[in-house]
Amino acid sequence: MGDRHPLTWLGISGVILLVILLQWFFPVSLSVMSVCVLIMMIIPFIIRFERKRITGREIVLLAVLSAVAAVSRIPFAALPSIQPTTFVIIMTGMVFGAESGFVVGAMAALVSNLILGQGPWTPWQMLAWGLIGLAAGGLRNTRLMQTMWGRCVFGLGAGFCFGWLMNVWGLLALNNAISWKSLLAYYSLSFYFDLAHALSNVVFLLLFSRSWMNILSRFKRKYGLFAD
Amino acid sequence: MKRGFSSFHPLVCFFYYIGTMSVLMLAKQPLFLLTAMLILLVLNGVQDSGRGLRQWWLGLVLIFAGCLFIYPFANHRGTHILFYFHGNPIMLESIFQGGITALAWTSLLLLFLSYNVIITPEKFLFLFAGVLPRWALLTMITLRFVPLLRRRIVEIESVQASKGTSARRGSLYHRAKAGLLIVQILLTWSLEEAVQTADSMKARGYGLGRRSRYIPYTFKKKDSVFLMISLLLLALSLYGCWLGDLVMAVQPILETPLLHGREWLFYVFALGLVGLPLGIEGREVLLWHFYKPEK
Repeated sequence: MGDRHPLTWLGISGVILLVILLQWFFPVSLSVMSVCVLIMMIIPFIIRFERKRITGREIVLLAVLSAVAAVSRIPFAALPSIQPTTFVIIMTGMVFGAESGFVVGAMAALVSNLILGQGPWTPWQMLAWGLIGLAAGGLRNTRLMQTMWGRCVFGLGAGFCFGWLMNVWGLLALNNAISWKSLLAYYSLSFYFDLAHALSNVVFLLLFSRSWMNILSRFKRKYGLFAD
Repeated sequence: MKRGFSSFHPLVCFFYYIGTMSVLMLAKQPLFLLTAMLILLVLNGVQDSGRGLRQWWLGLVLIFAGCLFIYPFANHRGTHILFYFHGNPIMLESIFQGGITALAWTSLLLLFLSYNVIITPEKFLFLFAGVLPRWALLTMITLRFVPLLRRRIVEIESVQASKGTSARRGSLYHRAKAGLLIVQILLTWSLEEAVQTADSMKARGYGLGRRSRYIPYTFKKKDSVFLMISLLLLALSLYGCWLGDLVMAVQPILETPLLHGREWLFYVFALGLVGLPLGIEGREVLLWHFYKPEK
C-alpha cells in the first residue's frame, strides 16, 4: 500500500467536497448522497489498479477469471438464485490477492451487466462483488480463511452482505419513510434469496475450495503471476 | 444504422443520461414526473420500436405498483386521514409520496432502457478508454472471452452429460456439485489458453508504449449545440429544484400537486431536458415524411 499517488487523495477529497456541497444545496436527497458515497468508495480502487505495474499475462488472467465468474451461471440456469459467481470471486481473492479479487468481482458484475443491460443496480453490484473479493484477499493469511470452517463462515457472511448491499439501492426508493419497521420488512422480503445465495456459497466452498485453490496456486507458481 | 439520437457523439449522449437521471432523482413534482414518464415511454417506443418495453413491461408495472402501495402502508405521518385500513390510518401525504416515488423510479428505469439502446458497449468502452485505459482494455478482453467461454461451457456440458454428470437432473446437492465441476473444467481449460493469448499480445508489443486507439466518433457541430442546450436546461432545472419549484412539499404542509406561476417555467425547462432526444427523433420523422427537396 506504499505507492499511493497524490491523485488518489485528490480524487477522494474532491468527492467528499462534492458530497458536502450537495448536502448543503439539497439537504433532503438521500439518494444523491448515497450515490456519492458509493463513487467515493469505488474510486480509490479503480485508480490504484489503473496505476499499478502489471504484465500482459496478469491482465489476461484477470479477464479469464472475470469471464469464468460471469458465465459460471449458465450450468445453473435451471436453479434459481444459485450461482457460483461469488465462489469464483472468493477463490480469486484468496489466491491472487485483495486487489485482483476486487478487480475480478467488479469486472464480472460490469460485464454481465453490459451483456444483459445496465441499470441503477450496476455500480452496486460492482461494489458488492468487488468488496467480497477484496475481503477474501485481505483475510487470506488469517486463520479464518485458512481453515475450511472459517471459509464457510466467510461464504455465509458474504452471501448475506451481498444481498444487503444490493438492497440499499432499492431502499433509496423509500427515501424518508425509513424506519426500523419498514427496514426490517424490506430486508425480510429478500431473506430467502440471500439465504439460498449464502448456503450455496457454503456448499461450493466445502466441496471445491481446496481443488480450486490448488488449481489456481499451481497456475500462479508455474507462470510467476502476481508474485508477492 | 446510425440515425436520430444514436448518431450523436457518445459523450453528449452520456451527459444527457447523467443530467436527466439527476433531475429525475431531485425533482419531486408529480405532474412533472408523470409527463417525463410519458415522454420516456414514447422515446422507448420510438427508439427500438418498443422491443425493450415488451421485454420489461412486467418489471416496470411491478416497480410502479410496489412503490405506490408500499408507501401508504409503511408511513403514517401526516394530517390528512383518508380512511382506516385494519386500524392503520392511510394518509393523503403518503399516497402522494408513494406516487412521486413510483413515478420517479419508473422514469429512471425507462431512462436506463433507452440508455441501453443508445450507449452500446462499444460506446461505453470508448467513453472510459480515455480516462481509464487499463480498465477499458480489461473490459474488452473479458467481453471477448464471454461468448467463447459460453460456447465452451455448452460443449463441456454435453460431454459430461454423456458420462452421467449433469446439472439438470438429480438432487439439488448433486446438481450443484455437477454444475461447479463443469465450471472447474472450464477454468483449467481456459487458464492455459489465456497464457497463449497473453504471449501473443506480448509478441505484438503490448506494454511497450502508450496504447493508441481507433476513434470512430467525431465531435460535430450538432454535438456542441446539443451539449450547450442540454447544459443550459440542466442548470435551469437544477436551479428549479433548489428553489423548490420542482419539489412538491409533503411535510409539514401538503402542497397541491398542481403548478402555478413561476413553477410552470421550470416545469417547461426540465421537460425540455428530458424530451431532447424525443425532439431529435421526432424531427427526423417529420423530415422523412414532409421534406420536399428543392428542384
